[in-house]
Amino acid sequence: MRKYHLVRRADAKLKRTLLYYAIGILASLLIGAVILAVLGVNPLEYFGKMFTIGLVGNKYGYRQIEGLLKNFVPLLITSVALSLSFKMRFWNIGGEGEFLAGAIAASIVAFQVTGLPNFVTVLLMCLAAMISSGLIGVAVAALKVKFNTNETLMTLMINYIMLYVIKYIGETKADWNFFLQEESDRPIFGTFPQSAFMGSIPIGKFSLLWSVIIAVALTVIIYVYLKYTKHGYEISVVGDSSATAKYAGMSVGKIVLRTMFISSALIGLAAALAVSSAGTISDSITNDVGWTGIIVAWLSKLNIPAVFVTSFLIEVLQYGCQIAASQYPAIDSNYANLLQGIILFSVLVADFVANFRVVRKEDAKNA
Amino acid sequence: MKKLISMLVTVALAVTSVFALAGCNKADDGFKVGAIYINSQNDTSGYTYAHHKGITEGMKKAGLDPAKDLFIVDNVPEDKEKVKQAIDQLAGNGCDIIFGISFGYIDAFEEKAAEYPDIIFSHATGYKSNDKNFNNYFGRIYQARYLAGIAAGYKSLALGNNNIGYVSAWGTEYAETCSGINAFAMGCMAVNPDAQISVYEIYTWGDQEKERMAAETLIDTYGCGVIAQHCDSAQPQIVANEKGAFGCGYNSDMTNEAPDAHLTAPIWNWDAYYATAIKAAMENPATFMNTVGNYYEGLNAGLVDVSALSKNCEPNTQTSIDAAKKLMKDGEWDVFSGTKLVFDPASGSFTKVEEPLKTNDGTEIVGAGGASVDDGVIQGTMNYYVEGVTQVNN
Repeated sequence: MRKYHLVRRADAKLKRTLLYYAIGILASLLIGAVILAVLGVNPLEYFGKMFTIGLVGNKYGYRQIEGLLKNFVPLLITSVALSLSFKMRFWNIGGEGEFLAGAIAASIVAFQVTGLPNFVTVLLMCLAAMISSGLIGVAVAALKVKFNTNETLMTLMINYIMLYVIKYIGETKADWNFFLQEESDRPIFGTFPQSAFMGSIPIGKFSLLWSVIIAVALTVIIYVYLKYTKHGYEISVVGDSSATAKYAGMSVGKIVLRTMFISSALIGLAAALAVSSAGTISDSITNDVGWTGIIVAWLSKLNIPAVFVTSFLIEVLQYGCQIAASQYPAIDSNYANLLQGIILFSVLVADFVANFRVVRKEDAKNA
Repeated sequence: MKKLISMLVTVALAVTSVFALAGCNKADDGFKVGAIYINSQNDTSGYTYAHHKGITEGMKKAGLDPAKDLFIVDNVPEDKEKVKQAIDQLAGNGCDIIFGISFGYIDAFEEKAAEYPDIIFSHATGYKSNDKNFNNYFGRIYQARYLAGIAAGYKSLALGNNNIGYVSAWGTEYAETCSGINAFAMGCMAVNPDAQISVYEIYTWGDQEKERMAAETLIDTYGCGVIAQHCDSAQPQIVANEKGAFGCGYNSDMTNEAPDAHLTAPIWNWDAYYATAIKAAMENPATFMNTVGNYYEGLNAGLVDVSALSKNCEPNTQTSIDAAKKLMKDGEWDVFSGTKLVFDPASGSFTKVEEPLKTNDGTEIVGAGGASVDDGVIQGTMNYYVEGVTQVNN
């Protein structure tokens, strides 16, 4: 019986990697095109609308860009935050739960703290969200440091806990529940007072939310933090080997706690910006960024500038898919999700094939 | 990683430039319909399916082609931000009227109606509207439930079993569910005055497991011989079929799913509304709120009905249902009034009896011979069960 081994290619070349990526994406589009053709839709027209996010001939194009950016901000910040903890090899898959905790905390401030100027209210919302999410992150990190618990399981469970907390809030009509509208008989989330809304800069008809600027600035700050500061260096050493870090005299526990606080607090901030931009909260407020962010972080190899570009492209893909699907009654969002899945899977396979090759055992020995 | 970035950017740009031209040929200025669904238009049964069928048939009646003139954003949760984005997308596509079928879309519709004054916004099951371009629509499904109750009443007499079960998503929390339960119960008792309606509440609009379990409990523990339902799937009817009981489905004729059990089902013909609304908006959107306005119709407009009676129904069921239907269609009588219909099972004919409408704890709602309760009560504030109804789980 022959044995096969995976060997990392020593000769991985940019050109070949690019070629494989292109082949992967084209192959997935081809599969998508076949399905479209079967459903009676012209694939060229469909993909055209998808990649231009339906902007051609759109009466309210500026609204589509606003929508795209509103979805992009939480995804970008969450992906950056997750990269931070992944760099340290801390498998934080609790992005969804941390996001929801932040969203709930920010909403409490939005509903309860009234009469303050807009800027102050939003700032308080951000702080409340960052602290609550950050503390959840620290709690999990502390369990890991102290008792060596499995952080993957712990963070995963937090997702479900927070999801049911928000569902409970959203479905329970009671006197204490200030999250819900009073005038509606059926439980439905209320709208924030005007002072809790994210401000924006009008550019013609288009309005650029401050959250977009904050997100871009944050990305730059985290890039600098990881690349040029002592903290950033410590994170990468802990990620490479915590034994090395200990030997070098670093306090691994402290670094893990600190980094997890920053990572989850950033996700909380993303949530605060999201609820403030939406002006309300809901149990689907995360838009799955806690999950998508993991894909973004890995596709980008935890490189922050790459995270920026990848999260933008994935958002274009998601938003474009939805708006293209809306134009054909035969195509529903299941197709859009299927196509996204095929494309992401193909890129991951292409990345794998570009960097590894399969060799038989004797070949490996000879080599 | 530089490779990845440059690669993805290149591909995105290349594809964009190649296909951009292909995407810009849908510029005809005909009337366009937008729809926001809670599930998918490709469903084969259930709530979204019924509305999608109604919209496509309504469009055809108005001379539109759903394949070309209909734009849909599907699987939109009751999340204000997501609904607003869906509306922006439909508005960007040039839709002239936008329908939203789920209750939780209400605030997004209100807000966007003010933002896009040239588009008509039409929201199902809600209660908000404005006087220019935003209405709500729903129907008197309780009338159809009363008719289904008549069929169940006949069956209970034939079975010699006064226990009738009702699997319900919710109970007195929502006027929509409790008005349906009450109307069904009054239909049953119009034929079989001793009928007892046991309600099993499952606390969700749709969950096949829970629907199944509730029907099993009602038949096995409470000895019900007929099972009615207000929930999404046909499971209660399937259970009735398995256990040799009978039942009334909901939303669609469930005789296929339960051939030996199903009697008749209250159904929606949403195309009756959609055709009216689309035609009015095509003719003159400025007068939409006068011509259509907030829409609440029933048997008279053909919006609600019962499905064709199956072979499982007792003799005279059809005669009695037809008689009650005619009274409601002509506006001579309605369910929640101080006058009751009493059917004679031997002939199927009825007599009117003046009797007060009472809740199951004896509170009088309408005096003997009094007029029907307000539509506002049926749509919004009804929160009691009438005499003969008991909730068995709580």
